[in-house]
Parts: sequence; structure tokens; C-alpha cells
Amino acid sequence: MTDSPYLEAVALSKRYEDGVLALDRVSFGVRPGQIYAMLGANGAGKTTTINIFLNLIDPSEGEARIGGIVTHREPLEAKAHVAYVSENVMLYGNFTAMQNLEFFARLSGKHHYSRDDYHDILRRVGLSDDVHYKKVRGFSKGMRQKCGIAIAILKDAPAILLDEPTSGLDPKAGWEFCRLLESLRQEGKAILMSTHDIFRAKEIADTIAIMKEGRLVMEQPAGELAHLDLEKLYMEYMAGHNGPMPAEA
Amino acid sequence: MLGTLILKEVRDIFGSTKFVISFSVCAVLILLAFFTGAQNYQAARRQYEAAKAENLRQCDGLTDWLMLRQNRIFLPPEPVAAIVTGVSNDIGRTVEVTGRGELSAEDSRFEGEPLFAVFRFLDLEFVFGVVLSLLAILLGYDAICGEKERGTLRLVFSHAVPRATYICGKLIGSLAALVPALIVPILIGCLVLVLMGIPVDVNGWFRLALAIGTGLLYFMVMLVLSIMVSAMTHRSSSAFLAMLVVWVMSVFVVPRAAVLLAGRAVVVPSVDELSSKKAALNSQLWTQGRQAISRWTPEKTGGDMEGMMKQFQDMMEKQADERDRKMQELAGQLNEDRANRQRVQQRWAFAAARLSPLASFSLAVTSLAGTDLNMNDRFAAEAAQYQGDYAKFMKAKTGMVPGRGMIIMKGDAGGGAKPKPVDPKELPEFQHRPIALAGAVETAIPSIGLLIVWGLGAFITAFWSFLRYDLR
Amino acid sequence: MFRVLVTKELKAILLSPRFVGTFMVGAVLILLSVYVGIQEYRAAVDHAQTSQLLSDQGLQEATSWMSASTRAYRAPDPMTIFVSGLAFDIGRWTPISTRTGVRLRHSLYSDEPMYAVFRFVDFSLIVVVVMSLFALLFTYDAVSGEREDGTLKLVFSHPVSRAHYLLAKASGAWLGLAAALAVPTALAVLMVVVYGIPLGWQDWLRLTLLLGLAALFCGSFVMIGLLLSACTRHSSVSFLTGLMVWVALTLIVPRIGVLTAGQLTNVPTVAEIQGQREAFARDQWDKFMRDGIGRWQGNTDSLGEEALLARIQTEDSLRRQVETNISDYETRQYADLRRKSERRERLALSLARLSPVSAFQIGAMTLAGTDLDMKPRFESAMDAYRAQFTDYVGQRQSESPGAGGMRIEFNSETGMKISNPRDAGALDISGLPKYVSPRFDLAPAVGSLALDFGVLALGLLGCLFGAVMLFSRYDVR
Ligand SMILES: Nc1ncnc2c1ncn2[C@@H]1O[C@H](COP(=O)(O)OP(=O)(O)OP(=O)(O)O)[C@@H](O)[C@H]1O
Ligand SMILES: [Mg+2]
Repeated sequence: MTDSPYLEAVALSKRYEDGVLALDRVSFGVRPGQIYAMLGANGAGKTTTINIFLNLIDPSEGEARIGGIVTHREPLEAKAHVAYVSENVMLYGNFTAMQNLEFFARLSGKHHYSRDDYHDILRRVGLSDDVHYKKVRGFSKGMRQKCGIAIAILKDAPAILLDEPTSGLDPKAGWEFCRLLESLRQEGKAILMSTHDIFRAKEIADTIAIMKEGRLVMEQPAGELAHLDLEKLYMEYMAGHNGPMPAEA
Repeated sequence: MLGTLILKEVRDIFGSTKFVISFSVCAVLILLAFFTGAQNYQAARRQYEAAKAENLRQCDGLTDWLMLRQNRIFLPPEPVAAIVTGVSNDIGRTVEVTGRGELSAEDSRFEGEPLFAVFRFLDLEFVFGVVLSLLAILLGYDAICGEKERGTLRLVFSHAVPRATYICGKLIGSLAALVPALIVPILIGCLVLVLMGIPVDVNGWFRLALAIGTGLLYFMVMLVLSIMVSAMTHRSSSAFLAMLVVWVMSVFVVPRAAVLLAGRAVVVPSVDELSSKKAALNSQLWTQGRQAISRWTPEKTGGDMEGMMKQFQDMMEKQADERDRKMQELAGQLNEDRANRQRVQQRWAFAAARLSPLASFSLAVTSLAGTDLNMNDRFAAEAAQYQGDYAKFMKAKTGMVPGRGMIIMKGDAGGGAKPKPVDPKELPEFQHRPIALAGAVETAIPSIGLLIVWGLGAFITAFWSFLRYDLR
Repeated sequence: MFRVLVTKELKAILLSPRFVGTFMVGAVLILLSVYVGIQEYRAAVDHAQTSQLLSDQGLQEATSWMSASTRAYRAPDPMTIFVSGLAFDIGRWTPISTRTGVRLRHSLYSDEPMYAVFRFVDFSLIVVVVMSLFALLFTYDAVSGEREDGTLKLVFSHPVSRAHYLLAKASGAWLGLAAALAVPTALAVLMVVVYGIPLGWQDWLRLTLLLGLAALFCGSFVMIGLLLSACTRHSSVSFLTGLMVWVALTLIVPRIGVLTAGQLTNVPTVAEIQGQREAFARDQWDKFMRDGIGRWQGNTDSLGEEALLARIQTEDSLRRQVETNISDYETRQYADLRRKSERRERLALSLARLSPVSAFQIGAMTLAGTDLDMKPRFESAMDAYRAQFTDYVGQRQSESPGAGGMRIEFNSETGMKISNPRDAGALDISGLPKYVSPRFDLAPAVGSLALDFGVLALGLLGCLFGAVMLFSRYDVR
């Protein structure tokens, strides 16, 4: 863990054309090997923040940096260093999972992967072998989500942006995803994640932030947040089948 | 990177039901266009031969060429013209040649068989111009906005893909997938022509190839245009609606409106006006001629019948030539005036019509196929030339150029030798040359150039709009 | 309940970009086409009148009744403003003379091929191409699109009957389309009135029927869209099939129908027929000449003036006989040709009517009088006129005989003699019957019209029924 943040928002503001102030001077940083979870109500500005990091939109003021590169100045350079999983991963329906993976791997400039690598990664995110050669059109939301995660892993970028990645995943897949995130953290990736799942956020995140109406109203290390017993119990129940059953609830 | 994008595009297109269905429809239509073209050609050939044979049958048993009453020439069908029909079914195909005077082509195919005019033919121009352009729209309208709607665009652009590369990959990939796909049925169509024994010569093949190339160019223009619209809209349904409006305008409105406006703006005297003016002069000349004949007395030849006849014929011939000259003077003047005005009219009409890619395409392919408006003029020129030959022939055979209005009856008191029948083979044959490649290309060049400009313009616009496209 | 559904449909449609697009395109096209149609109609009336006048003048200048010939021009029908049909493909005039038979020639397109390059745009074309496409666009996603949006599930969690739902969709789309077209059409009709185009009560009836036919036609495409939508689960698929069906019905089936009929039947061309006529005519004239040589053999001088005149008169009547023979032959030939082509046309049109598009087009052309019957209708009227003309000319000629031309005799004894029997004064044509173009009569067309209306109505009901059946088993999830 180094000290300088890899993903960095500096007084980020965004006002949409229709006058909505979606982000209001938001600043934060995510260091390598750190998972940063953003919580907040619908419409709080989480997706907007991620969009700015991906340069899908330009900030009105302030800047977002990835590894020191300002995203709206050098978007390509910046994007080469970041992988992304959206809340609702959409893929090329005419292609199989393998073909989608291959295409996006090539887009990431990774030409060296072999077929086996793709199979490995698909298995790793929890897609069984029989669907690897199926067209993505028929996939369920969770299966597409898993493909999206696989694509992000393939990219092997130092930073990862996750916009509600666990939406649509079954509990087991959600749990596996958390393990995956932990291993990515081990590899030293800087991970920015928006989520509505406070329990899981508390479980794996290093830092938890809460957004409200475009402003960052709270940012604390996850350790300091663990107060509520009920929550804690519930979390344990969700996290592991081998954990203790709640005594009462 | 570009290669990856192109490859993905090609794969995506080939894998889609949309492509499979619309391509099958195209393939069937293209084959049908070739097949019906070939069949039409064969039918037209049969009719042409029959008509020609009937014309020659007149000569059977003639003992004097002067008795040949009506010599007709016919516009022979051409293989390429059957595949790109242009105006070939609208213009007159039969000309009655008398040796003198003005010619007029009559009996267009549609006049003779109006049934076919109700829905017209299924030719390559129609298939490319109307159907394929619609399919180009169908294949291109959601190229960009569809990906956005489906959400793949976000994922792609979370990678380090330059927008320029992406849009180029999109455009090139779409073209690279669709254009070769179209070539397959076209080649099979050409094979059908060969198998059905349609005599296409080298010149014909070249022109056909160029016409097909123009068709593909037009297809590309429409495809790029719809990708362009797709890169300017965010909902595929509005992209389709917009392209549909463009298509309707381009196919049905702009060309027709342009022609009609030019027709209103530049006044061209009608054929009937001209012919009545000519008729007036003609009747005046005849009146004068009759008076001259009444005044005419033969030089003394001492009762030599033959000599007197000769003198008379010479006089009549001179008069006819004189009449001809005057008529031609007037007709030339009137026709030239009409032709000039027509040319101006056409220039305006087509200049305005070319705003529509379809019009540019139509004008280009019909020029290449030799079925554009010049077809009429070329046939008229060839007929006039034939009339000259025919006049010379008749002069050589009979000593005079037959014109209408004179019947010679020889009451031969003495027996004399039995006259020999004429040989119909001696009658000069009408020569129709298909348009030369160079000439065809020359007339087609501006339209093709315009199509290229359209294509490039659309390409560049698509490029620019995508650079500013909202990817979310 | 039904009212609620229809109101919702109408609202949804009236607020959609499709409606705006349809309205704008329809308005521009309909007004443009009718404006152009009015201009063309007036130009055609003008042309027919002046040309008729010129040809009458020409007749006056003829030197004798024997050589008298004129032209009969086809008078344009105001309904061509809406449905040009074959009006520009069929010849505009026929020569009328004792010698040649009636045959319409010189169509507008052959005289002015520039117009043939792209042809004209008229109301019927707009209905066929644009309105049918928009009708499909209005309904292709009626069912499949709502399923995708998930609204279908929501609607059917309420007590709604499926048939009602579908009928509401159909009526909503139809009403929406009608709303988009009613205003421009009304304006177009108003324009026709303002420009002072003479419309009789029959014309108004025809116009009303035409608009009814158009409404029925749009309705059948609305139903086709609905049927396709109820067949498919994804709106993209119904869109694709809709477009393909449209291409097939509009652009392909009609042509294939005609081409197939063309292949199956054989009709000689005019050129062939003319060749045959020529051959026949030549035989006849040959015979006449040969006999003539016999008749004129011997010294004509020995004949008195009286006898010579009698001789000339017999000669004349013989010549007329030959002419009648030839024109009879020609008439027979053309009657035969007409029969053959009528058979072919019937076959072609029945095949083409497999598509509602052709049914509409044929019906519209029938209403406008620009259908395939147009040519025979005019030609038979012109034939009748020619009979009058021939009678009149024959009568006048017997009053002032003479071939009009001059007769020149060479004789070895007397030398040359030129006789110019008649003074070449202008003919008095005031008594000549005038050609009057036939008025269009709706009565004989009723059968064919009923067929077209029937085909469209049947198609519409069939599609609706199919859609209701399919939808009753539709999986709304
Ligand atoms: N294209 C846009 N134009 C105008 N306003 C927008 C646009 N996109 C988002 N907004 C507004 O910006 C605000 C933040 O939206 P954003 O999508 O970032 O929320 P979010 O936190 O991701 O919500 P959710 O939890 O529902 O995903 C909202 O008020 C939204 O209405
Ligand atoms: Mg969001």
C-alpha cells in the first residue's frame, strides 16, 4: 500500500444541461489495494462520478484522475488503466460468451490470451462450461454480470470501477464476487465501487462513503463503522453458511 | 485495434437474423432481376425478329423497289438494357423510313403492353435503387444508437478505444461485410445470363460491371448515410424514422419534384405544336409545287416517251429535293430549338434531382446501360443515317428517292420483258450500335462523382458526429 | 373499458414521433402531389385543346376529302390528379382518316421521356408507398413492444379482455393514421376546388370512393402490422418481418404477378401486327394495281370525257374498296389482339391482387379511369368517331369527287397531259362531326371495384381475426 491515491476525484462538479447539479465538489481518493465503496440513495450521483472517470461525460468543474492522468484531458491514456463493470452489463447478443471475451480482450490490447485462459476466467467468475459457447442473447442478468466481471478481470488494469456490480447476482455468486474482489485487492488494484448493499460494502470495503444529492456527506474507514449488532449478525449470516446462526431474529 | 473492431463488426452482422433475412430477400431479388431481364430480352428479341421478318416479307414478289410501301426499322433489344431498363420501355421502338422527311419513333413497349406499365418491371435499377437502399437503411439505422440502447457502447468505451477508430471500424466493417455479400448473388445472376445464352459482348460486360459497381456504390452511400443518422440520434426508432423520411424523399419525392419543377420552369414546345407547324409549311409547299407542275412543259423531245418521262421525273425529283430542303430547314430549326430547350430543361431537372442519391444512381446506371434519355437521340440519329442510306439505295435502284404522295402506274401497251422480282437482301439493313464504353462512362461520371461525394460527405459527417456523440 | 383502452392508444400515438413524422411527410407529399397533379391536368387539357385546334386547321388545308385526315385527342380526366395510372403511358392521340385504323400513339412519356425517368408522384403512390409503411410502423410493436416494456404484464394483471385490447390497438392506430392524413387530404381537395377543376357529381363520388379505398388499404396494413406483432416476441423481429412483408407486398408481388402472366401468355406486339397488316395491304394493293393495269390498258384517248370520268369513278370506288378491306383486316386484327391482351391482363391482375397493394392500386386506377381499360375505352370511342368521319367524308367526297392529287398522263402521241381536277381550296369542315371524348362511367367498373374493395376488406378482417386468435394464446411475460 502506497500513500498516493490511484483514483482521485478533485472537487468534481457536474451540472447537466437541464440544470440538475448531479455532483457538487466531490473529492476523494482510492489507493492501490484499497476498496472504496460509495453508498447513496437513487439519484445521488454515483453513476455520474463513474461516468466522469470513464470520460463518458466531462466534468463541469474539477477533475478526475487515474494514476495521475486527468480523464477528460487524456481519456484514452486514462482508460487504458481502468476496467469497468456496469450495473447492467450488456454484451453483443449475437456473440457467444467466448467471442465477447475475445473481442473485449483485444480492445484492451491483450492479444496473448488463449482459449483456455478465457475458459479459466469464465469459470473463475462462476460461469459453467456449458454456456461458454452459447450466444449471450439468452443469458440471464446475473450471467451477463459475470461475463462483465470476466471482461474486467481480463483487462488486468490497475484500477477497477464497479457500478453496482452485484445487482442481479445470486447470493452465492455475490459471495464469490466478494472473494474475487478481495483477491484483486491483494493484487494491489484500486477499486471504486458504487453499491446499495451496505452489508456487503461494510464487509469488504476499506473505506465507505455516503453520497447525498451530489455531495459526499460521509467518508470513513469501514472498521470504524461496525456498530450495529443487528447489521453485524445479518452480515455474518449472509457472508458464510458456516457462520453461526443468529441466536434470535 | 481497428482490425479487431472491423472483425467484430463483420461477425456481428453475419450473425444477426436481420442480415440473414434481408440478405436472402436481396439475393432472391437480384437473381430475379437478372432472370426476368434475360427472359424479357429473349421475348423482345423474338418480337424484334418477327417484326423484322414481317417487314422484309413486304418485298416478296415486288418487281420494283418503288412499290415498297412502308419500310420500317426497329430498335433491337439489348441485353444490358433488359437488365437496366431505364427509359427503353417508354420510347418508341419503330420508325417508318420513307427516304425523305422527318422520322418519328412510335410504339413504345409500354404503349403496346400497358399491362407492364402498371407496376413496371423488376430490373436491377429498381432492385438497387428502391429495395436495396431500404435494406441498407435497415442494416445501418441502429449501428450506433442501437449499441447505445443495448448498452454495449458503454462497455466498449470503458476501454481505451479512440472514438475515431471505433467509428471507422464501424463504417469499414459494415461495408466490408455487406458489399462482398451482395456480390455473390450478382455473380450468380451474371452466370444466369450466360447459362440462358444471352449474348452479352465484352462492351456489354464492362458496362454491366460498371453499372453493378455503381449500384454497390449507391448501396454504400445509403449504408453510410444511415450509420451517419445513427450517429446523430440516440434512439434507434427515431433513427429509423429519420432515415425513412430521407428514403421516401430521396426515392419518391426529390427526383420527381425536380423533374416536374424543371418541366414547369423551362417551357418546351410540344411535339404536336411542332408537327402542326411543319404540316402547315408542308401543305404550303405542296400547293406551290402543284402550281409549278401545272405550269411545267417538257422540252421538245420529239415524242420520245421515255425522254419525256425522264424529264418529268427529274423535275419532280428536283421539286421534291427543294421541298425537302425547305422542310428540313424549318424542321431543323424547330427541332434544334426544341432540343436546346429540352437540354436546358433536362439540365435543370437532373441537376436538382441529383440532390437525391437515388437520382444520381439512376442517371449513372442508365447512362452506363445506354438506356438514359440519350437512347432516344441515339436511335433517332441512327434512324436518320439509315434514312440517308435508304435514300441512296433507292436512288440507285429506281432513279428516285421515294417520298410519300406519288404513285407511278405504268400502263405498258407493249409486252416488254417480264420484270424480275427484287431481292429483299439488297435492302440496306438498319445498324444499331450499342453505346460505346467510353461515351457511357463519360455521361455517367458526374453522377458517379456525386455519389462518391455523397458517400464521403456522409462518412465524414458520421465521423464528426460520433466524435461528439453522447456515449452514456 | 374499451373506451379507456382506445383513448390511451390514441394518446400514445398522437404524442409519438411516428405520428409527427407521418403527419409532416404525409402533408408535404399529398399537397405536393395534388398541386403537381393539378398543374399537369391543366397542362394536359391545354395541350389536348390546342392540338385538336391545330389538327382541325390542318384538316382545312387538305386539298380533298379523300386525303382528309385529322386527329382525335384523348381528353384528360380530372381524376388523374389523384391517380395518374396509365394516363402518361398510353398514347394521347390517334390519327383519324379513312385509310388508317385507330391506334393511340405518342404517349406523354414517349414524347417527353424526361418525365419517364422518374415518373410522376401522385396520391395513390403516396398511399401505396408511404402510408402503408407508416401504417406498419404504427402497429408493428403493438404487442411485442409492450411485452418487452413489461407493460403488457401490467395491463393484463387488470381485468381486460384480450380481444378488447387488440381491437383498441387496431382502432387507435387506424384513427391515429386517419388523423394524420385527414387534414392534408382535406386541404388537397380544397386546393382542387380552389383551382377550379371541374368536378361533376360522379367525380365527387369517385373521389369519395377513392378516399374510402385508401382508408381501407391503410386499415389492412394496420392489421398486418398487428398480426406480425402478435406472432413475434421481440419488437425487433416484428419490425424486420414487417419491413420484409412490406417490401414483398408493395414492390415484389405485383410485379411478379404481372411477369408471371406475361410468361404464361403470348400476345403479339404491335410491330408484328403491323407487319402482318402491311403484308395484307400490299397484297391488296398489288391486286388492285395488277387489275388496274388491265383496266387502263389500251388507248385512253379514244374514250370520251364522260367515259373517262366514269372510269375514274370506278377506279375510285375500287380503291375505296381496297381501303375498306385493309382497315377491316386491321380492325379484326386489333380486336384479336385486344382479346388476347385482355385475357393476359385478367390473369396478371388476379395474380397481382394477392397483394393488397395491387388491389388498392387497381381499384384506384379503375376509379380514376386510368386503368388498363383506358386504352380500349378511348380507342373504341375513337373507332366510333372514325366511322362517323368516314361516312361524312364519303358523303362529301361523292359531292365533290376527285382524288385531290393531280393526274399526269404521258402518251406517246399526245405528249403529256396534266389535269388538276379540283381547285386546292380549303375544305369546309364546319359540318364535320366533332370528336367528343367519352365521359367516364362508373357503372361498368362496379364489378372490378367491388372485387378490389372485397379483397382489401377480406384481407383486413382476415388479419384482424388472425391477430386476435394468436393474441388469445400470446404469452404476455
Ligand atoms: N443525462 C442526464 N441529464 C440530466 N440529468 C441527469 C442525467 N443523468 C443523470 N442525471 C441526474 O443526475 C443525478 C445523479 O444521477 P446518477 O445516475 O449519478 O445517480 P445514481 O447515484 O447512480 O443513482 P442510482 O442509485 O439510481 O443508480 C440524478 O438526479 C439524475 O436525475
Ligand atoms: Mg446509478
